[in-house]
Amino acid sequence: MFTLIKLIQSLFGALHSEGTPGQLAAGIVLGSFLGLTPLINLHNAVIFAALVLLNVSFAGGLLGWAVFLPFGFLLDPLFDWIGHSLLLAPSLRGLWTSLYNTPVVPLTNFNNTVVLGSLVFALLFAVPLFFATRLAVIRYRATIGERVRQSKWYRAVMASKVYNVYKMFQP
Amino acid sequence: MSVKVFRWRAVGPLLVLFVIGCLLWWLFADTIARRESQKVGTQMLGAKVEIQYLHLDLAKGDVTIRGLTIGSPHEPFKNLLQADELVADLDMLPLTEKKIVIDRIVANGLRFGTPRQTDGRVAAKSGEGVGIAGRVLAETREWASQFQVPALQLATGKISIDSLDPRRLSTIPAAAALGARADSSQRAWKTAFDTLRLGPTLDSASATLEKLRRARATDLSTLNEARQAVDRLKRARGRITTLERGVKTGVADLQAGLAGLDSARRRDYAFARSLLKLPSLDAPAVGAALFAPGAIKPFEQVLYYAQLARRYMPPGLLPRATTGPSRVRRAGEDVRFPKERALPGFLLRSAEVSFLLHPTSAQPQRYAGRLTGLTSDPALYGRPTAFAATGPQLVAGAMLNHLRGTPVDTAGATVGGITLPAFQVPGVPLRLDPGAATTQLGFNLNGDTIRARFAIRSSNVRWTRDSGGGFAHSTIGDLIWRAVSGIPNLDVEARLSGALQHPDLAVRSNLDQAIAARLRAVLGEQVAAAEKQMRDRVDALVNDKVGPVRARVNEVQTQAQAQVAQQRARIDELQKSLEQRLRRLLGGVRLP
Repeated sequence: MFTLIKLIQSLFGALHSEGTPGQLAAGIVLGSFLGLTPLINLHNAVIFAALVLLNVSFAGGLLGWAVFLPFGFLLDPLFDWIGHSLLLAPSLRGLWTSLYNTPVVPLTNFNNTVVLGSLVFALLFAVPLFFATRLAVIRYRATIGERVRQSKWYRAVMASKVYNVYKMFQP
Repeated sequence: MSVKVFRWRAVGPLLVLFVIGCLLWWLFADTIARRESQKVGTQMLGAKVEIQYLHLDLAKGDVTIRGLTIGSPHEPFKNLLQADELVADLDMLPLTEKKIVIDRIVANGLRFGTPRQTDGRVAAKSGEGVGIAGRVLAETREWASQFQVPALQLATGKISIDSLDPRRLSTIPAAAALGARADSSQRAWKTAFDTLRLGPTLDSASATLEKLRRARATDLSTLNEARQAVDRLKRARGRITTLERGVKTGVADLQAGLAGLDSARRRDYAFARSLLKLPSLDAPAVGAALFAPGAIKPFEQVLYYAQLARRYMPPGLLPRATTGPSRVRRAGEDVRFPKERALPGFLLRSAEVSFLLHPTSAQPQRYAGRLTGLTSDPALYGRPTAFAATGPQLVAGAMLNHLRGTPVDTAGATVGGITLPAFQVPGVPLRLDPGAATTQLGFNLNGDTIRARFAIRSSNVRWTRDSGGGFAHSTIGDLIWRAVSGIPNLDVEARLSGALQHPDLAVRSNLDQAIAARLRAVLGEQVAAAEKQMRDRVDALVNDKVGPVRARVNEVQTQAQAQVAQQRARIDELQKSLEQRLRRLLGGVRLP
C-alpha cells in the first residue's frame, strides 16, 4: 500500500512539478534501465548516480523503475536470447574478448546473456521511450493537468508527508 | 530559460550513500564472500560446501578460511574433506578483470571421509541434470548402471525355470518345412516317373518277346523288331538311370533335412538351458558377482571428478558458456572469452596441503601434498595440473593434462593401513570386514578411452555369517560359509578398459575359486537334473512334430527307390530275355 501511494505520489508529483517534460522523460528513461536490467550490476550504479546527479526527474526515475520492473521479469527470455546471440556472434568475438580482458569492464557482468541483452534492449528502447513520454507529459499538462491539480483527491494524496521526501529531488 | 544540467545539492547525499556502502562492505564483506564462496563451491561440486569463518584482507591480499567442510556428492552422511585452515595469497590486480589468481594456498588439518550429521549431497537430491555437477552426476550414474552384474542366484539353492514357449523352438518349423519338402519331392518324382512312359515300352517289348519265341531264324522282320525292342529298352533304362540319380539327390537332401532337425533340436536344448536361472560356476563370473558392484563405485566417483574437471577446465580458447549466477531474475549464461597471453579466469599456482590419516588414533599419521597449476584455462597457463602426496603409507598422484584437444587425466594412489568398513557380500550370506587393507587405484582417461584398476589387499579379514536372507541357514549357505570362513586374506582386483561408453570390466578375487568349486560340487547334480528336465520338455514339444515328418520322409524315399528299382529290374529282365532269344535263334551269327 505504501509503495502504491508512493508511486501515485511520485507520478503526480512529477507530472505537476516545475520540471520540463524532457526532464521527466529523461528520469523515466533512466528508471527504465533500473527496471529492465538486473539491478545488482555496476552499470546500474552509474545509472543511479546519473539519476541523482543529473537535473532530471528523480520521481520520474522511480516511476520508470517501478513500471518497467515487471517488464524486466517478463522479457527475461527475450533478453537472454538477445544476449546469447550477441555474445556468441563470431563477428563480435574480438570485441568481447578485448572487453573481457580489460580491467573493470568484466565487473559490469556484460558477459552475462541477460545483463547484456537487457542493457542493449534498454538502450534501444530509451530513445522512443524518451520522446513518447515527453509528448505524453506535454499533452497531459495542456489538457487535463490543471483540472487534476485542482481536484480534492490530488490534494489529499500530495498532503502526505512522504511526498516531502521526493521534493528534495524535485527538478 | 536555461535548465541546469547537474543537481549539485544531491552530491552530498550521494556521497553519504557511498560512504554507507563502503561501511556496509567493510562490515559485511567477509560474510558476503563466505556466502558466495559456499554458494559457488556447492554449485560447482554438487555437494554442500560450508565455511565457518572467512576473512578477506584486501590490503595484504590474504584470504583466510577456517572450518571448511565439503560434503560428498555421492554419500549422504559423509564428508569429502574437512580442513581446519586455509590461507590463500591472492593476486589483487587480476581482480579488476574479475579473475582470481591465487599464488599460494597453505591448507592445514585436512581430513577425508569424516562423518556428518546432515545429507551433504546437492546435485543428487535436487534432481539430476540440474547444473553442470548435476548433469555430470547423472551421466556417471548412467555409465555405472551398465555394469549391473547378476548376483549369484543359485546361491539360494533353487533353480527357477522360465516357461518354454513352443513358438520359440526352431525344430518345430524345421520339421514342418521338411515334411512339406518330402511331399513336394514325392510329387516331383511321380511326375518324372510318369513322363518316362515305361508302360508302352515294356508292353511292346513283352509282345515282341512272345513273337520271338514262336519265330524262326529266317523270320527277319521279327528279328529286326526284336532288335528295335532291345534298343528301346536300353533307352528306357538310360532314362530311368537319370531318374534314379535325381531320386538319390533328393533322398540325400531329405536325409540332410533329418540331420538338420537334430541340429535344431540341439539348438532348442541350448535355448531351453538359457531359460534356467543357473549360476555361472566359473570362477571369474563368481568374482564379478561378488565384488563388481562394490568395485564400480570408486571408478564412478573418480570418473565424476575427472568429468567435472573436463567441464570446468576445458582445452582450447573458444568462448565458453556456463550457467550464470542464481538470482531472482533469470540466471542466463556467463560467457567467458579467454585470450592468448592473458591471465586465466581462475588460477591456483600452488597449494601445499597437510593432512592427517587416522585422526582419532593415538598416533595419527601426518601427510603432505602439493597441488600446482589448477586453472580454468589450461591452454593459457600452459602446464598441466599436477598433484602429489606422500606419507608413511601413502603415495598418490594425479595429472590433468587439458592442454591439447584430447584431454588426458591420470590418477593413481596406494593407501595402506586404511580400515575399510565391513560390507555385505552380494549374493551370499556373508559379511566381510576387510580390516586394515591396502587399497590401490589407477585411473587413466585418455580422450574417450578409459583404463582403470582398483585393488584391495588385506591379510587380516574377518568373516561374519549374515543371519538375514532367504538361504542363510541353507545347505548352500553352510557350504559357502565353510568355503570362505577359513580364508584369512582378501585379494580383489577390478580392471576396466576400453571405450568410455562401453568398457570391459573384469573382476577377480582369491575367493572366486573357493566359492566356484563349492558351488560346482553341490549344485552340479541339481543343474544336471534341471537341464534334463528342460530337455524332456523340449522333446515333448518337438517329438509330436518330428516323428511323423521323419516317418513321412522315410516312406517317400523308400517308395521312390522301390519304384525305380522295380522298373529297372523289369527292363533288365525283358532286355535279357530278348537278347538270349535272339542269340539262340541266330546261333552266334551277327545280322547286318
